[in-house]
Amino acid sequence: MPNNPSSTVLKAVPNAGDDTIARLLMRNAREYGNDIAMREKDRGIWREVTWSAYAEEVLRCAAGFMALGVKPGDAVIILGDNRVRLYAGMTAMSMLRAYAMPAYPGATLDELKHFFGEAHVVAALVEDQEQVDKILELRDAGTSVASIVYDEARGLNLYDAPGLQSWESLVEAGAKRLSADPDLRRHLIEESKPEDPAVFMHSSGTTGKPKGIVLSQKNVLSGARNAHAGGAFEYGEEILAYLPMAWVGDFALTVASAIAFRFTVSVPERQETVQRDLREIAPSLYLAAPRSWDHMLTAIQVGMENSTPLKKWLYHFFMDRAVEAERRKLNGLSGGPFERLGRLVGEKLIFGPIKDQFGLIHLKRAFTGGEAIGEDTFIFYRALGIKLRQLYGQTENSAFNAIQAPGEVKLHTVGKPLPGVEVKIADDGEILMKADSVFKGYFKNEAASAEALQDGWLHSGDAGYLEDDGHLVVLGRVSEVVFTQSGERYVPNYIENRLKFSPYIKDAAVVGAGRDELTAMICIDAEAVGHWAEVNGVPYVSYADLSQRPEVAELVKEAFVRVNKAVTEGLQLHRYVSLHKEFDPDDGEITRTRKLRRKVVEERYGQVIEALYNGAADIHVKAVVTYETGETGTVERTLLIREI
Amino acid sequence: MFYGLSGVRHNSYVSDSKLFPVPADRNAVVFFLLLGLAAPYLVSSLYLNSYILPWLIWTAAVLGLNLVTGWAGQLHLGYAAVMAVGAYSAVHAAKFGIPWEFALLIGGLASSVIGSLFAFAALRTKGLYLALTTLAMQFVMDWVLTHSPTIAGGSHASLQSPTFALLGQDITSDAGLYYVAFGWCVLVTIFMLNLRRTGLGRALVAVREKDFAAAILGVNSFYYKLVAFAASSFIAGVSGAILVSTFYFLAAPEQFAVNVSIQVLAMVIVGGLGSILGSYLGAALILLMPGVVNQLFSLGANLLGLDLGIETLAHIPNAAYGALIVIFLMVEPLGLGKLYANVRDYLMVWPFDQLKK
Repeated sequence: MPNNPSSTVLKAVPNAGDDTIARLLMRNAREYGNDIAMREKDRGIWREVTWSAYAEEVLRCAAGFMALGVKPGDAVIILGDNRVRLYAGMTAMSMLRAYAMPAYPGATLDELKHFFGEAHVVAALVEDQEQVDKILELRDAGTSVASIVYDEARGLNLYDAPGLQSWESLVEAGAKRLSADPDLRRHLIEESKPEDPAVFMHSSGTTGKPKGIVLSQKNVLSGARNAHAGGAFEYGEEILAYLPMAWVGDFALTVASAIAFRFTVSVPERQETVQRDLREIAPSLYLAAPRSWDHMLTAIQVGMENSTPLKKWLYHFFMDRAVEAERRKLNGLSGGPFERLGRLVGEKLIFGPIKDQFGLIHLKRAFTGGEAIGEDTFIFYRALGIKLRQLYGQTENSAFNAIQAPGEVKLHTVGKPLPGVEVKIADDGEILMKADSVFKGYFKNEAASAEALQDGWLHSGDAGYLEDDGHLVVLGRVSEVVFTQSGERYVPNYIENRLKFSPYIKDAAVVGAGRDELTAMICIDAEAVGHWAEVNGVPYVSYADLSQRPEVAELVKEAFVRVNKAVTEGLQLHRYVSLHKEFDPDDGEITRTRKLRRKVVEERYGQVIEALYNGAADIHVKAVVTYETGETGTVERTLLIREI
Repeated sequence: MFYGLSGVRHNSYVSDSKLFPVPADRNAVVFFLLLGLAAPYLVSSLYLNSYILPWLIWTAAVLGLNLVTGWAGQLHLGYAAVMAVGAYSAVHAAKFGIPWEFALLIGGLASSVIGSLFAFAALRTKGLYLALTTLAMQFVMDWVLTHSPTIAGGSHASLQSPTFALLGQDITSDAGLYYVAFGWCVLVTIFMLNLRRTGLGRALVAVREKDFAAAILGVNSFYYKLVAFAASSFIAGVSGAILVSTFYFLAAPEQFAVNVSIQVLAMVIVGGLGSILGSYLGAALILLMPGVVNQLFSLGANLLGLDLGIETLAHIPNAAYGALIVIFLMVEPLGLGKLYANVRDYLMVWPFDQLKK
């Protein structure tokens, strides 16, 4: 228990002092043992786990891994989609003072090999057969992982690899150990210190190889505490654990904050059922990357497009007015009484039902984070009555830097820095931060650490400034602010996000650094455009074929015209090309969190970019694609350059 | 709209198979149940006992016929005859001094036995032949009633029903009689609601869809048809007995004649085969609509100052009523219950047009 005397005084900050994940978990188990800690959907039924049962499972898991020889300083890879057991495993690692190293379930062998090269990986906790196969393949390639523990046994009963075992047998071994050694329980709970590692994350790697980031328990817990003090969440929130486990946002919410503030965490059945499960859970707190918000927006727009004329008319009637009203409000203007009436009726008739369909009706705290969200998307959700707020964070600072306070949402700022986070702006405009939640340096990478941490200040790599009222404005990555030939400064990401508001555009890459005008490469949204083509009788045989259809070009052009109206004169887009394939993390064009790897894209499509500027009418491309099996093939296509 | 599904989740299979998982449905059911309980205080006793009470009893009877026709898919044109068996048995039992609780039971069991015995023979045929055979049962029963004085109390006579009583308490007040009908209707409804989620209910549906396909699945179709007839006959018998003891107060052969059988079947079809809500709506339409249409027409004629002949006034409502049934069935061949389900589906996905994948 916290023996810090201030913890009794400061009720709002209960987990101060030398709290660790293990101790907080035990506190929950002791004081709220019968409350639901986790829910996991299995064959349509939500299986509930109470705090006391969950704590016991974590303890047994920790003891089990101990029996497998996991020592402090070792690393255990966590590989798979969100599962209660994988979360329990991550939590158990903090008890063992070992590194829990979550990886994206879609990670390729090369990416995983890089992880294995960093730390002493002794074991892997994986979801299912697919991931077991990956680890076994890596083992054949010479990595040293001794034990593999899997959650889902399907397809694995004939496997005969040494060190391979099920979660059940691990936990059983752990339980035996716990009962044989009465001291072990106390040891596991009390041994770890706040300075010990909580998780081993990786930077997203938009520029080069991902760097290892070890966040200590003190880091993640004070991050959570800062966020709570900043009004991000309350005790006992209801959340859905659907974010990739290797993203810091997931760890910060579903492990650190959930344990510190007793959230009820629900784990969806599969990635494919997230939408339905979201509706069944109807969370009170929801964090999503801008792309998820965009995706949901597309679903709403496509759904409404297919609706009947009456409902379509009602939707546009109320939605257009609400968007206008929200835009006025964010610009500091107030609306008339009709606006309130419109909101009220619209909420009953359109907004409420839509929110109910998507499980957002009980949402009190909605956040977007990870990268900049498109202005139109942001306003759309706020008009819908979801009080979407921006969260500015990064892995190095345990995900929580700044959030917008409920009443202080402005379009161009990300809100005030959280209590406990000190922010200053460097001379070159870079945002610097100091907080308990800031990490100690990149794992075994002195050079990068020295660059990122100077005198205890974290160099975020983002350009920005503080406004007079204390609000922080983030302009974009320092490395991403570029200039056209005429010296016009712009952030490609900003324009790309506006393009992506169109349901038909999934990804976009704006080019024009050092050129006289801006152009863009886009990837159409296969689902939305495919559906549109179906409804409108446009024949096509493949994504590549669809992307070049003149009808689709017309459709996409509308988005460009809209964006061109919104941006300043010098930043208008003049030409674009619709690419023959979507950007894919397996091809390295985007990261697993779907951030554009600009360098890779500009290199790979150099030919196309050249054609965008030399006045050609089309460009013949030959592209190498990587299939899911890891094999490569080539695609040849003629892409048409379209004028706007 | 209205049918919010956010946050509806199940943490056990028992919870997953709840009768009304949608909160809005649950609220509606509770609302109508309370309305039903409060009806004696809300509605004048004339309306209560001459409209609502018979409607509820007929609804119970329609649910029984729906069991055999809607669920098991067997056409039944002799349903009134089965009701008659129950009515006469119960009244005779009550006259004999048996308490009404047991008299009703005896009525139900007698119907059940006779209905099953008949079904045992009739179920060797299918489809139209079965329809004709059940019609034959109706005529046989009509003949027996008019030709055996011991049962009917003499040719063209009626049999006085003893005062209804439950647990030794005579029930004579309007509200009391209403509650008896209400209770029976609720009981049958609960049975039918639950039937849907039992093995028996699923077996019946399998038999309805294709009896030999059901047989391939291991469902003994003859056995289940027989069970359906027996259960439906029981409901018919008790409903008949309650109808006589709380509404007609005497039993006469013409109360259970062939036209009544046709009428109950019409209620089932207009309401919707296999629909519980439809049974309520179908019974209401067939039973109450003639009166309502009649009143509307005379009211309209008065308002417009039309001087319609008494002949015309008597016939136009009948035509309108017939047209109404035709229109309803043209708009939605699956009945009024399906009509409601369409509206529900529409609002369920509002403001979208279809459910997402």
